[in-house]
Amino acid sequence: MSTNPEQSVAMSSPQHNEDTTKDKFLTFIIDDEEYGIEIAMIREIISICKITKVPESPSYVEGIINLRGDIVPVINVRNRFNKPWKEYDTLTCIVVIEYTNYKIGLIVDSVNEVAYIQEANILPPPSSKINYYNQFIRNIGRIDENVKLLLDLDKLLAS
Amino acid sequence: MLEMFSYEMAQLVEQLEQTIIQAEAGYAIDQINEIFRIMHTIKGAAAMMLFENISSAAHSIEDLFYFLREENPTGVDYSTLTDFVLEGMDFVKGELDKIEQGLPNDGDGTETVLKINACLKQLKTGGAEPTPASPAAGGAAPLAVGGSDAPAGKYARYKATVYFEAGSEMENIRAYTMLHNLGSQITKVIHTPENIIDESSIELIRANGFTFECDSKLTYDELHAQLMDTIFLRELVLETTREADSGTGTAGAQAPSAGAVAVAQGSNRYSAFIRFDEGAEMENVRAYTFVRNLEEHASDITHIPVDIVSEASIEDIRRFGFKTEFTSDKSLDQLQTILSNTLYISELALNMLEESAQQAPAPEPTQAPAPVQEAPAAAAAGEPAPAPADPMETPGDADAKMDPALMRAGAAEQPAAKKAQNSSMISVSVSKLDQLLNLMGELVIAESMVTQNKDLENLELESFYKEALQLRKIISDVQDNVMSMRMIQLSATFFKMHRIVRDMCKQLNKDVELKIIGEETEVDKNIIEHIADPLMHIIRNSIDHGIELPDVRAKKTKPRKGTVTLEAKNSGGDVLIIVSDDGAGLNRDKIINKARQNGLLRKHESEYTDKEVYQFIFLPGFSTNENVTSYSGRGVGMDVVSTNLEIVGGSVIVDSVPGEGSKFTLKIPLTLAIIDGMIVQLGDAKYTIPIISIQQSFKAKMESVFTDPSGNEMIMVRGEVYNLIRLYEFFHVESATTNIEDGIIIMIENGDQTICIMVDDLIGQQPIVVKTLPKYFKKIRGISTCTLLGNGDISLIIDPVGFFDK
Repeated sequence: MSTNPEQSVAMSSPQHNEDTTKDKFLTFIIDDEEYGIEIAMIREIISICKITKVPESPSYVEGIINLRGDIVPVINVRNRFNKPWKEYDTLTCIVVIEYTNYKIGLIVDSVNEVAYIQEANILPPPSSKINYYNQFIRNIGRIDENVKLLLDLDKLLAS
Repeated sequence: MLEMFSYEMAQLVEQLEQTIIQAEAGYAIDQINEIFRIMHTIKGAAAMMLFENISSAAHSIEDLFYFLREENPTGVDYSTLTDFVLEGMDFVKGELDKIEQGLPNDGDGTETVLKINACLKQLKTGGAEPTPASPAAGGAAPLAVGGSDAPAGKYARYKATVYFEAGSEMENIRAYTMLHNLGSQITKVIHTPENIIDESSIELIRANGFTFECDSKLTYDELHAQLMDTIFLRELVLETTREADSGTGTAGAQAPSAGAVAVAQGSNRYSAFIRFDEGAEMENVRAYTFVRNLEEHASDITHIPVDIVSEASIEDIRRFGFKTEFTSDKSLDQLQTILSNTLYISELALNMLEESAQQAPAPEPTQAPAPVQEAPAAAAAGEPAPAPADPMETPGDADAKMDPALMRAGAAEQPAAKKAQNSSMISVSVSKLDQLLNLMGELVIAESMVTQNKDLENLELESFYKEALQLRKIISDVQDNVMSMRMIQLSATFFKMHRIVRDMCKQLNKDVELKIIGEETEVDKNIIEHIADPLMHIIRNSIDHGIELPDVRAKKTKPRKGTVTLEAKNSGGDVLIIVSDDGAGLNRDKIINKARQNGLLRKHESEYTDKEVYQFIFLPGFSTNENVTSYSGRGVGMDVVSTNLEIVGGSVIVDSVPGEGSKFTLKIPLTLAIIDGMIVQLGDAKYTIPIISIQQSFKAKMESVFTDPSGNEMIMVRGEVYNLIRLYEFFHVESATTNIEDGIIIMIENGDQTICIMVDDLIGQQPIVVKTLPKYFKKIRGISTCTLLGNGDISLIIDPVGFFDK
């Protein structure tokens, strides 16, 4: 486990114009499923660093990290989806997003790619919610035969 | 811009309030001067920002003090006067608050203004000196010819020319205020000069008077009376141009309103044709400036091209020139001089179109000509008055402009001197200071990250450590400096209390003196914001409940005048603010009774110490006052005290001796941002406890720890029993030491309460930079904020208050 948050990949600056971020999604993997977040929300991706636990917070909130002087809360997306805990490995990442003016880190198994999904290929999820984590899915994106589950951050981050 | 404005205004208002309260006993001449100056500044600034209600309120107060300064009247009721001024200031403050919050400043200050004006009038007539130019002498009687019989309910048209007293200054604003005061009583107002917002109209009003026409339902006498109320009015000429009942109107002045101005002024119609120099550029703007200049001397201006705002007109003006037609009372020659001052004019053709207006009969020819004749004469003296685009080009004009400027400079001499002294001060926005402080924190951490770097371990680096020591020294100096920049004296907060004491004394018929000691003590800016309210409530409480009425005091062989003392002093890392009074003191029985009624007693009454009893008064909704007054009795005030102090990590202690008075001691930290912390180990995490709240730490023995039937652990320390909290249980930390003898016990206090907590180990003491937790977390019991340690790790800061919550 690396403790150096500086080994980060800067993904996008806050002022991005529409064109470069439109229809682009960062995809990441949890178990075998691939999920996507609009790229405009992403600030950076860092490797796992030291996380300080905060008492009295829900189990999926791993704690807070020091991101170059910023105190950023980190939640574990696996736990948020009620999937079993998995040991961090070299692929585990923290995706830092900026959501309603504050930064928040999402721990994911691994980051996959930046996918280009046209609006026409984005479909609403099935209305029947069988799986628990379905509630966090806003849309389903389709690239050829691959399916990416596009996350609803409002629900994911609601405390 | 707006921010700067409201900041300056707030400062001025504060300064003014203090001067007034100091001066209440009797206004010294320099105090009057100062108040006058401040009001003048407020008025000017407000007028500039177009907050007319503020500027008119300030204006009326300024008038009041102008009168005091000039006439130095005797037998003035200063107390009432102060009331009026304070009322005016409250209005201004209210409006400023609205502006700051981005609300429209729609307050109506008319009532206040009228009150102040009435006060001034009373001073003028009731005071020893009669007004120098008694307005009544202006010849109201002959003027009554016109419309005193105008039937109410119908509109009559009036024309009035007003002259202000010499030296009254700001004539344009006076004129504006006059119209404003008439408000909705008059309609269809046309006035000359047309633009009275612009300062250039001042000269014109001085020279020609201020003329306006309006429709009004008021009878002639009513309107006349209202206008005569105008302050600094020297002369008023009022005439009826159209009777209310138009059928009986015999005067031939039923001219359509557009032409009315022209007719009334006995003016001529002119046409002017101009061309600009080639390459003058921006011809439309130049034309616009030309028209603006012309507006001062003429009315009813039309021009071709009609639209000179759009750039398309530039080409037209270049090719065909710029034509205007207007009506003016100036002679052809005068206009020629005025207009030829325009910049970049290559050609000017000025012609008189008609002279017909001259013959139009003015309704009251005997009265009207007098001011009009006088006007051009005066105007000629003041010529050339037009303001061309560039004053550099016309030195003569610049001279003419100098005069009022000089006069104003004279009046403002003293503030200018004051400003020069203050020029070594700058105001900086708090957010910049906050940012600097954040960076400072980063710097401190970065420094220790470098000097305590793991790579340096086991290396012989004598010289490196020497230099590092020097670096640390400089950084800590910078840190001290940054902190000191945020420190503000308590004096402003303290002096505000004079006003509260004064107002309350007046209302409650008490006689109280406020003594202030140690107001130069400095406290962090963030903290000062939180202590003004508590102080106000405590002082209110002292005056309302504590200090007795003068007669009662006399019977108790106390001086009739009560004393409230407000004292500040440093004490270690805290500032103590002590509010004491020599009143009746707190009534223990009353408080106990009330506490019993409210079901607050947890043990037998006699077991409560006095201090514990007094703490009850800080509970919300707790008041022993049976009658709700405008100052207290709702049980809100003291609650504010404790909650506000809690926010800044302060506390309050009450002492009281029945019959002799009470003493409130507020203990507040010097600063919030950087505190001394004790880093403790708990499991694999490091927590920080503010040093201020730590009393002692020690190793516990098994025998001294015991558990009560409900499972609460207690610890006996030197014969006293305290609650014991195992921090790893409280925070649900795994992998921490569970054996009480292996851990360390830390005794922490909060106010009067003390508790023991158990941690794994003490790591060390160091200054820490406090950072807020992300908003994502809601309030966590026992944790308030966090900090970054030297190695970049986050340490949560323990908030001792959380342990005492029930």
